[in-house]
This record gives sequence, C-alpha cells and structure tokens, in this order.
Amino acid sequence: MKAPAFDYEAPATLEEALGLLQARADDAKVLAGGQSLMPMLNMRLARPALIVDINRLPGLDYIRIAGGQLQVGALARHTAVASHPEVKKGWPVLAEAAAQIGHDAIRNRGTLAGSLAHSDPTAEHPAVLAALDGEVVVRSAKGERTLKADDFFLGYLTTALQPDELLTEVRFPALAPRTGSTFVEFAPRVGDFAVVGVAAAVTLGGDGSWQDVRLALTGVGGTPFRARQAESALKGKKPTAADIQAAAAQVAEAIEPDSDIKASARYRRHLARTLSERALTTAAERAAGQGGR
Amino acid sequence: MSAFAAIGKSARRVEGREKVTGTATYVADVHPRGAACARLVLSPYAHARIKSVELSAALQVPGVIAAFSGKDIGGAEILAIDEVYFAGEAVAVVVGETEAAAEDGADAVQVDYEPLPVVSDPIAAMKPDSPLTRAAQGESHDDAGAHGAAVGGAGTGRPKPRNVNQMVEFQRGDLAKGFAEADVVLEDTYRVARVHQGYMETQGSVAERAPGGGFTVWTTTQAAFGARDETAKFLGIPAHEVNVIPTQVGGGFGGKFVLVEPLAAALARRVRRPVRVILDRTQDFLVSHPAPGAVIRMKMGAKKDGTLTALEAELVFDAGCAPGAPTGIAALLLGGTYRCPNLDIVGYEVLTHKVSPGAYRAPGAPQAYYALESHMSRLADQLGLDPIEFRLKNAAKEGDIRPDGRPWPRIGLIECLEAARAHPMWRDRKKLGADEGVGVAVGGWGGGTEPATGGCRVNPDGSLTVQVGSVDITGVNTTFALIAAEVFGLPVEQVQIATNDTDHAPYAGASGGSKTTYTVGAAVLAAAQEARSQVIEMAADRLEAAPSDLDIADGRVFVKGAPNRGVTIGELARLANRFGSRYKPLHGQGRAAVHTASPGFAVQLCQTKVDRGSGMPRITGYVAVQDVGRALNPAEVIGQIRGGAVQGIGRALFEAMEHDEGGQLANATLADYTMPTAADIPDIEVVLIEVPSELGPFGAKGVGEPPAVPGAAAVVNAVEAAVGVRVKNVPIKPEVILDALEEGGKR
Repeated sequence: MKAPAFDYEAPATLEEALGLLQARADDAKVLAGGQSLMPMLNMRLARPALIVDINRLPGLDYIRIAGGQLQVGALARHTAVASHPEVKKGWPVLAEAAAQIGHDAIRNRGTLAGSLAHSDPTAEHPAVLAALDGEVVVRSAKGERTLKADDFFLGYLTTALQPDELLTEVRFPALAPRTGSTFVEFAPRVGDFAVVGVAAAVTLGGDGSWQDVRLALTGVGGTPFRARQAESALKGKKPTAADIQAAAAQVAEAIEPDSDIKASARYRRHLARTLSERALTTAAERAAGQGGR
Repeated sequence: MSAFAAIGKSARRVEGREKVTGTATYVADVHPRGAACARLVLSPYAHARIKSVELSAALQVPGVIAAFSGKDIGGAEILAIDEVYFAGEAVAVVVGETEAAAEDGADAVQVDYEPLPVVSDPIAAMKPDSPLTRAAQGESHDDAGAHGAAVGGAGTGRPKPRNVNQMVEFQRGDLAKGFAEADVVLEDTYRVARVHQGYMETQGSVAERAPGGGFTVWTTTQAAFGARDETAKFLGIPAHEVNVIPTQVGGGFGGKFVLVEPLAAALARRVRRPVRVILDRTQDFLVSHPAPGAVIRMKMGAKKDGTLTALEAELVFDAGCAPGAPTGIAALLLGGTYRCPNLDIVGYEVLTHKVSPGAYRAPGAPQAYYALESHMSRLADQLGLDPIEFRLKNAAKEGDIRPDGRPWPRIGLIECLEAARAHPMWRDRKKLGADEGVGVAVGGWGGGTEPATGGCRVNPDGSLTVQVGSVDITGVNTTFALIAAEVFGLPVEQVQIATNDTDHAPYAGASGGSKTTYTVGAAVLAAAQEARSQVIEMAADRLEAAPSDLDIADGRVFVKGAPNRGVTIGELARLANRFGSRYKPLHGQGRAAVHTASPGFAVQLCQTKVDRGSGMPRITGYVAVQDVGRALNPAEVIGQIRGGAVQGIGRALFEAMEHDEGGQLANATLADYTMPTAADIPDIEVVLIEVPSELGPFGAKGVGEPPAVPGAAAVVNAVEAAVGVRVKNVPIKPEVILDALEEGGKR
C-alpha cells in the first residue's frame, strides 16, 4: 500500500501549474482532493511520474454566481458545494448530489471539478453536469476552452481533458422559474458508490404542463446518460403517474448497462426505471410546489 | 445480584483511555531500531506449478536488502515452494529499508508459473470429473481427520465423493418412519457465502533477534502461546527461545491465531535485522483465513401440532486448499438444537483452490443456523403455527440428547425464546405498515474450554495486579479486574491487569471459543481468592486474631465486631515487600481446568422494511436476546452482543468473498468487500437472560460467539414476513427480491 515513487510539485500559480503540465504532459497527474487518485496510487493502479498538487493555487476554491450562472472553482470541495446557501437555493440538485457522495471525510477533501475530471462511471456529478447542461472550463498553457457534458465525457474514466489541460471551473446555467429538481441514487450501504443515480430537473409551464424535462443517469454505462427520448416524450404533457412510468420504462430500454461485481446489467436497468420514476415524480412535485401549476 | 460489590455493574474498559486517545500500541506501531520491512509476492493463479522464481531484478531495486523464494526460506507453510493452491498464496518475500522499497522490490520479482486446472466451487469439486485438489493428490491428512472426529458420528458407508477430505455423519432413529409420520415435509437448499472476519487492524508481526539468542516477536494475535510455539517450531528452536509480546488487537474474531509470526522471525534471522511484516488490506484479504462458505440441503418433517418427526441434512463446507472446516460442529448444532427422534445428517468437507478457512466467531454455527432457522420459520408457516411457539415446542433443554449421544447441560434456549415472544417487537409485529415485517431466529454455540493460570499480586499501595497470559480482544481484562475487585471488595480502579509476554505470563490458551472469561476468569478468581487468603492469614498474625474472625472492606482487614482493630491491605503488602521481612510476599496463583463447557443460546428479532424500488431490505429495528449465564460486566456483554448481531446482519445483507471460476477473489478491498457501517445499522436492543452456569465464574457463560449466529436467518425471515419473498442464499441480492416481487411474491 505504498505508491510507486513519483516527482511532486506544488505550484504556487496557475501559470506555473499549466507550465508543468505542458512540460510533462505524458506522465503527470493533477492532485486536487485526492479521493480517487490517492487510492489509485497506493494500490499502484496509477503510476504517474509527476504529481502536480494544485491545492496551493490561490483563489480556486470559489463558488460564485455571475450573470445568473453558477461557477465553481477547481478546488471547491463537495462539502462546500453541498452546504452553500446559493447552491441550495438555485441549484438544489447539485447540492443534493454532493451530499450523497461518500462520507464526510471524502466530501471534505473531494472536489466537484476532480469528480468530473476523474469521470467515474457511477459518480454523481457527471450526471448533474449532463442534466443541467453545464459546462467545464479547461485551461492549458495554450489557452482555454469550454466543453459540454456530451463532448467532455468520452468513456469509462475517460474525458476530453488533454494531458496538458487543467479543469479550472465548472459552470451551471440558472434553472428556469418553476423548476423542480432532485438527485436520487441507490447504494447498498450509506456512503457507497451509487449503483445507479438519477439527476432530474423539471420545469412546468403556466398551465402545469411539462415545459422542460432534463434527466441524466449515472451508473448505466461508461459516461452519464442523458435520457433525451424520455424527456421529449414528456414535454408538453401534464404530469401524470402513467406518463412518468412510461418515460421511466423508456429510459430503462434506452440504456446499455454492463454487468459487474456490484450489479448485473438487468438490475441496473431495473434501478434506472424505478429511480427515474422517483426522480421525475419528486422533481415534478417540487416544481409544482414553486407555483408551476 | 445485590450480593455483589463489583460484579454485574458496568465498568469502563481498563484500556479504553489508551485506545480513544490513540496511544495504544498496535503491532504496526512497533519500530525496533533498524527495522526493515517485508513485502509478500503473491500468486495470481489459484493453482499453478512454480517453474522459477527470479529475484535478481528485485535485488537491484534501491532500498531492497534481500529477497527470498519459498525454497530459500524453507518451509512450505509460509511460502509456497513447488506449487500454489490458491490465488494469493505467497511465493516470495522482499525485505527493504522501507515499505515502499520492499513493495518496489516485490513488483520486480519474476515468477514463472505453469497454470494448472482450478476448481473453485465446492459442489463442482465433488463431481467425478473435477480437477483434483491438493489433498486428493495423495497427501496424508491424519491430523485433519482427528480435527473433526471429536464431534463426528459413526459412518454408514456412504461413498466419499471426489475432493472430499472428511465426512461427518450423525444418525438416530428411523428417518423414513419419521417422514411418514409427518403432516408437512419441507426440503430446500441454502447457500451461505464465504466471509471475512473484517477486523479493523490488518494482520502483522515484528520480529527481532534477542540479545541472548532466540527471538522477540511482537504480534497481533489472540493466541500468544500458540504463536510462540508455531514460530519456534518453524525456526527449529525450543519454544522458550521465542518470546511473543502480544500487542493490542484491533479486532480478531477468530482470524488472528498465527499467520506471519514465523515468517517475520525467519526473516529477522536471515537479514540479521528486526523485520516488520505488516499486511495491507488487500494482502490480508488474500492470505488470511476467512470463514468457509457452505451449501446446506435441509429436509424436515413435522406433525400438525408442531412436533418434529424427522430431520435430514447434507452440509457441504468449502474448506479451500487445506482441511479444517468446522463441518462436525455445524452438523452437531444443526441436529441438536431441536428435539427430533429421527435424524440423518452428513457433512462433507470439500477441498477447493481457495485459501483454507480459519475460525470466525462460532465457526460453522452461522452457516448451520442459517439453514436450520430458515427452515424452521418456513415449516411454522406451512403448519400455520407461530414461529416462536413452534420453536418452543421442540427446543432442546437440559438432559435432551444431542446427535453425538451426549446430553445438553443446563441451557437457556427456552428462556431466550420466551423473552423474544414477550418483546413488543414480536407482539406488535402484525401492526407494521406495508412491506415491513419481523423475523426471528435462534443461534447457539457450545463454548470452548482450556486450562489457564492467573496471578494476583498485592501491591504496597493497596492495589492488585492481575497477571494473565490471555490476550484481551473483547474487554475481558476489565472483567478480570471486576472479578479480583469483587474478591477483595475493592473498587475496580484498584486493579490493574498485566497482559504479559510469553516469557513472563502464566499460561493461558487462545482468546477464542467464548472461553476467556469462562476459563481464564476462573483462574483469576482462584488467584484473587488465594491472595485474599494470604492477606487474611498475614493480618491474623498482625492483629493476633483468628483468620475466621477477619473480614475485608474498603481496602482494610479488620476484626469482625471490632472494626477499629484493623490493618490496610497496603500496609500488609509494604510489610511483606521489605528488606528483612518475615512475611512472604502477597501473591496468589490460580489455576483452572474447567473442561465442561456451558453452551450459550441467543434469539434475535429483526424488523425490516423492503424498498420496492431496489429490492433492498433496510433494517428498521433489532432485538438481541441472549442467555449469558451472568453478565459480569454488562457494558462489555451488551457491546459484544451488539457487535455479533452486526456481523450477522453483514452476512445477511452485504458480505461475501466473491471468487470467480478461476479462483480469483474479485473484492479484496474494503470498498468492494462491503461490511455494514454504523449508518446501516439501527439501534440494537439487547435483552440479557441469566441462567447461571454451574461452572463459570459467578455463573458466567461465554458470550462472544452466540450473538454472531442468528442474524442471517433473522433478516431473511423478516424479509419473508415483510414482502412474502423467501431468500435462500445469503448475502441477499436485492435483485432476487425484486424478481420475486415482480412475480407477485410467494404469498
């Protein structure tokens, strides 16, 4: 349980960090909260030659609202996200998801940006990014680019992040009025990785019909799954239990989960259906509670 | 009970402060000057021939001091030499200046294997075309035969299937007649997973050559003397040349007897430096000895009034690559808990390509009772009888003959069942909401015995030092303090416990088998009583009174009826521990050889609510009833019972060592091998029943093992009560419940 030898740098500025990543792009790994990287190092599942510890970079732990948009810096921890009053008010699904990650000790160190960059197929935040049409800001010595979930998550533990790039910020657009949202997951034990998790955001029109529906799942494939077909099927309708059930069934049909030691593909499909139904129902109730009817 | 001064009142753990302040010394905290670190190289194959072990690259790694193959170190007990029989078997070891250097070196060891056929599942291993395991290849296992024979019945000439090391059989009456008399006959097969003890502290030992020759070994063990003997045997030196210093144990549960002690000492001898062998979690999962999985076929018959008429059972225990599975005791408990005139029980100990199991809290009993208690609740259901009434009708009591022909001594099974029946959780179980229900299950354990010695020294400050050679894994030291305090009428704080190393300790056996309080406690009681007699005798001389006229209270000996005539215990000790004194030092020695066990029974009630979305049962309430004989330290006893119940719930809902067909353990981390955490467990209400033992100190019985037995069946029976789904294999896969619910359940 000792990591293989590696070089360690803790740059004091972003420029320095990006310079290191550019110079050692092929064998460097960024350390933020370390909740996934440190176990991988100690179990020798990862053997980078250089660790670039970004924890000393100043001013990257912000959670702020700019132009109605939520911006979360690379060093904002899950606990900070989960407990931030503006997040809880404006992006409750994000706070709800953050609160379901692991245990306190993990949430106190782990970061939102790190969770996205690591892209574990059962992590909560990738599904939230997908559901809320968020984007990530990625910087390198050469410049900056922003990516949406569809373009960022490429596969199992694989993202569009290049070796010389650092994920510096995560952005979530404001939710429309009369939007209800939730994150629900199933894990056998409290604090386990989810087997399947569902992020839902539902916006009701003045007439109480589904104006906008956004539904994304984690744990059903290598990347978060945005259930666009089910979303379209619900849009324009008034929320009924039967429609929600039909949409949830459609989600279960559309996904292509794998079997692994935690769950069979069939069970994941089942959970995708029951959790989608729960998430849509709760989100719709919350939307209605905000005067959506 | 009010007759006792100290016994029966909850006392704080004597070692509690050092544990909660982080100052307790665990084996990984032991760093002798100049200590090197060792790292094992483990086989990735479950069965393979070792063609070569190439160490040269490892020796080039910076910081590596030495590397050894099995051949180099000698002794296949600790490192495989020619062939590996399970994935994770150690084939080489690297010693480095640091743990990281040793691990770098271990990564560089090149082992050339020739993979051989593997059989991982015990049922598959019994088939005629299965690959052969180690024992079946012609090695002798005489000692293994003796191991289970103590509880095995006479054979009936059943054929011995392939890869079966040992068979145990119990017969009684006429089985066919018994089934013919039955109104209801139920037959089914249950599977219980292989599980790990899951102690928090991984295994490890630190060894150093002693200045005068021999070795000092610090280790986390339940059996200091056992570790000494095994280490000396491996090194080929007399036992007295090894001194084992037992460190605080961060959980044992049967899993910590002897593991890496001989290796650590052998390495210290070879590299002429102290060597630390501390396993990480994954290596611990792979090389230590867990609890065996079992497949148990049950067939039972009963009359309408609930009288059992016949019990047929076939137990298959997966013994891994070496004999020693608890088949006999499992068969005995399975056939002895309820009165049944007609029995036929056969147990098979099957060898497979997995690590061999060791002891885990009531070895064999959780498997046996899972099958028995699942079956009993289902039979009650089919008979239309209350599950507790049905059990009470058949429950064994004192004098009933067990399958091995011996009568039960006084046991509290019926008292426990009656207490469970009277509990509000049981009485009100029909008032629960949808998808929620209560299940009941029984568990029992025979309890172990072993001779023991204890010492009790009277100190000049008036305190007592109790000396033992047993390791405290459960809080027994606090109980020893209570026992000595009771004898002297002293506050428990006036008693210190010295857990001595094997050079200095009075002999005691391993802390296992629920026997430490029962047997070492008896020795401590005798030692304290002898010390008290010495105190009285000396005081009689000082006070010029007859010993029978003296009494002790508040640390002072005085003449009955004339309390002013007295002398403090401290003063007596000071007089005896003095240059030129004519008094012998005050030091009691106690010996005990309690060789009749006092079996303990437990009944547990589980309340569960099944989530229809995931099929997952969540435990919403739990009651653990247990006959403890006498709770010497109720806080310790209650804690033990809660911990045992949690381990039972773990077996029911979460825990399984998952091996694939190639014998690979797929979940050798605590992220993947899931044990319940505090957040998954409700408050567990403990109900203590006291049916005193005639032999244990102050009536105490062993309490450690019974509470770990009933949990799996209690949970599964609760699931059936909640949603009408019968689960047969544990741990429960929620998917199985979901599937059954979609088919409309069983009701």
